[in-house]
Amino acid sequence: MSETCKVSVERRGDVAVFWTDGYINNQGGEEIAKEAYSELDRGARALVMNLEKTRIVNSIGISILIEVLEKVMERKAVLAFCGLTPTIDKTFRIMGLAQYAAIYSTESEALQAVGASA
Amino acid sequence: MPISPTRSGAVSEATLRGPGVFDELAKTFAILRRETEKPLPARIAEAALVVAGARRAAVYLRDGDRWLLGFDSGKDGAPIELPESFPASAIVHAGFLWVPLDAEGETHGCLALEGLGHEEPEELAAALGLIFGSVLAASRLSRLVKDAEFEIKARLLELESLYDLGLSLSGQLDISALADEVLYRSISLTDARKGTLIVFGERGAGPLARSVGGDLLPPQAIWSWDLPEGEVAINNDAAHVPTAGVRLSDCQKCLAVSIAVPGRRLGVLAVADKESRDGRVLDFTPGDARLLSLFANQAAAAIETTRLHREAIEKERIERELELAAAIQRQLLPRELPHIPGVELAGSTLPTRQVGGDYFDWFPLSGGRLGFVVADVSGKGIPAALLVSTVHAAIHLQIDASETIVDLVSRIDRHLQRFSPAHKFLTLFFGLLEPAADLLRYVSAGHNPALLARRGGAIDRLSATGVPLGLLPHGSWREETVELGRGDLLCVYTDGFTEATNSDEEEFGLERLEQGVRSRLVLPAREISDALYGEVAAFAAGIPQYDDQTLLIVRREA
Repeated sequence: MSETCKVSVERRGDVAVFWTDGYINNQGGEEIAKEAYSELDRGARALVMNLEKTRIVNSIGISILIEVLEKVMERKAVLAFCGLTPTIDKTFRIMGLAQYAAIYSTESEALQAVGASA
Repeated sequence: MPISPTRSGAVSEATLRGPGVFDELAKTFAILRRETEKPLPARIAEAALVVAGARRAAVYLRDGDRWLLGFDSGKDGAPIELPESFPASAIVHAGFLWVPLDAEGETHGCLALEGLGHEEPEELAAALGLIFGSVLAASRLSRLVKDAEFEIKARLLELESLYDLGLSLSGQLDISALADEVLYRSISLTDARKGTLIVFGERGAGPLARSVGGDLLPPQAIWSWDLPEGEVAINNDAAHVPTAGVRLSDCQKCLAVSIAVPGRRLGVLAVADKESRDGRVLDFTPGDARLLSLFANQAAAAIETTRLHREAIEKERIERELELAAAIQRQLLPRELPHIPGVELAGSTLPTRQVGGDYFDWFPLSGGRLGFVVADVSGKGIPAALLVSTVHAAIHLQIDASETIVDLVSRIDRHLQRFSPAHKFLTLFFGLLEPAADLLRYVSAGHNPALLARRGGAIDRLSATGVPLGLLPHGSWREETVELGRGDLLCVYTDGFTEATNSDEEEFGLERLEQGVRSRLVLPAREISDALYGEVAAFAAGIPQYDDQTLLIVRREA
């Protein structure tokens, strides 16, 4: 597994869908935050993050995702995660990310929940 | 230059009672609460500009011994000239009013204001210092609480991870998946940028290696790894020097531990370059070392369990195959006694393992004749059983085509020379009984002397008439003929019978066998056979035997 995390984003109406590939650490978290803030500035009202190609998240990555979540909440937008490994799912729940961000099994479930247009 | 003898932070009663002070406070807090997306220093500066009527406001933040510029409303203008040191009380310096932002006896920052529109700067300074100092203190406290909460959750996550890993590994029998699980959690919970886990290969296989962020050490390096069991190597100063005898590649700081069970190392777990939020590489802590050790212990237990489980499965598979082989071998033995008037037969074999290297068989032939054979293959277990199978097939295929016993034995020998591995041979006694003529023809290919017991009790030992089969490229055998009349008995056996030992390592021996035969000459063949087996078992008295025991009795009724 690469130590660098690749992040790609696609806009579906006012929902931004993120796909991560790799370790969400400081570098990976910063990549996600940069793209997330950019999408929020462009008026996204929901961010859906598909982490199915991510196997590891460390505490720095989590703290950055919490910052992103705080920013999302300030903007009255929503954040949803999907494709989490059981380990990352549990990590998000323990670290409090799941308190304000929804977690879905699949991307289609997440998109449906946030009301993304096709 | 101090602006007032009034101690900074002490707001006079006149100020608090003064007209409009609540309006000013309300205005200040409204700005602070507005646009919370902006950083706090920017909002403090903005509130200060409004309340103090200043042209420019800058906020400096204290971080331990360091001072950082948090926000400057005139950042595009001329740089602000800093005082020699940040003041403990309000001063005027280079056209700016410098106000320390204190709370709870601690300075949290400093506010610099230019072009004040306020008539009473010292009172203003005290009020701003009090308000903004408290705001910064509250913000700092909030951050500390948040950090503490995060830390507590992170510790909880560690405990949960150890618990989950234990559960997960207890059901994990795929070492590759197991290695991934341990490595991912180790990297994640130590905040390392990279990590490598290597497990020694089994049965000559190369080591199994898993890495995130590149190999910290090449798989082959595991052979040089010399970290004692239970110790953790922390290398925070110079990861370029060898760690536990191995030079780790491309990292600044590392932490490594052996994966081991008592007395045996199974692998290595190493992580490197602990991250911080600001991008620095931090030292690994004793807590990190403890955590990695716990992961390594769990990995060791799981790897060992997996290995033992695999061995158990393999053993079970071999057992099943041996049982099948034994069933096949049992099919090679004669199932029915041939009916030849005046002749009794009894044959049986007792392998020491599931499958054996002994073989007996009989063949009713034309003219009321009876062929019979006892063979003993060198070696034991599956290889010997395979050779037995070969001999069985060869005899059954060649017996009708053979003119004489020597011809048959020669054909079997040629077959073995051609198709069996070197150093594999067998001894064989082949007899051909002609009851009508009271004759026994036989060839003994290196076999133990068969016992020919006469009705009167005399016993002849029928010695070998040639070499064992499959041993020499050009062996030769001689056919002998002896009388086997009414009341006579022939006993053919393998050496496992006479070489059965007791607890004193004494052998049963040929004399005891002869005596056992002689004393039972009048009994039916089956009873003689059973009695002789019973005698050998009583002699051995439960001591495990290392060779198969086979006995064939051919008895002429009197």
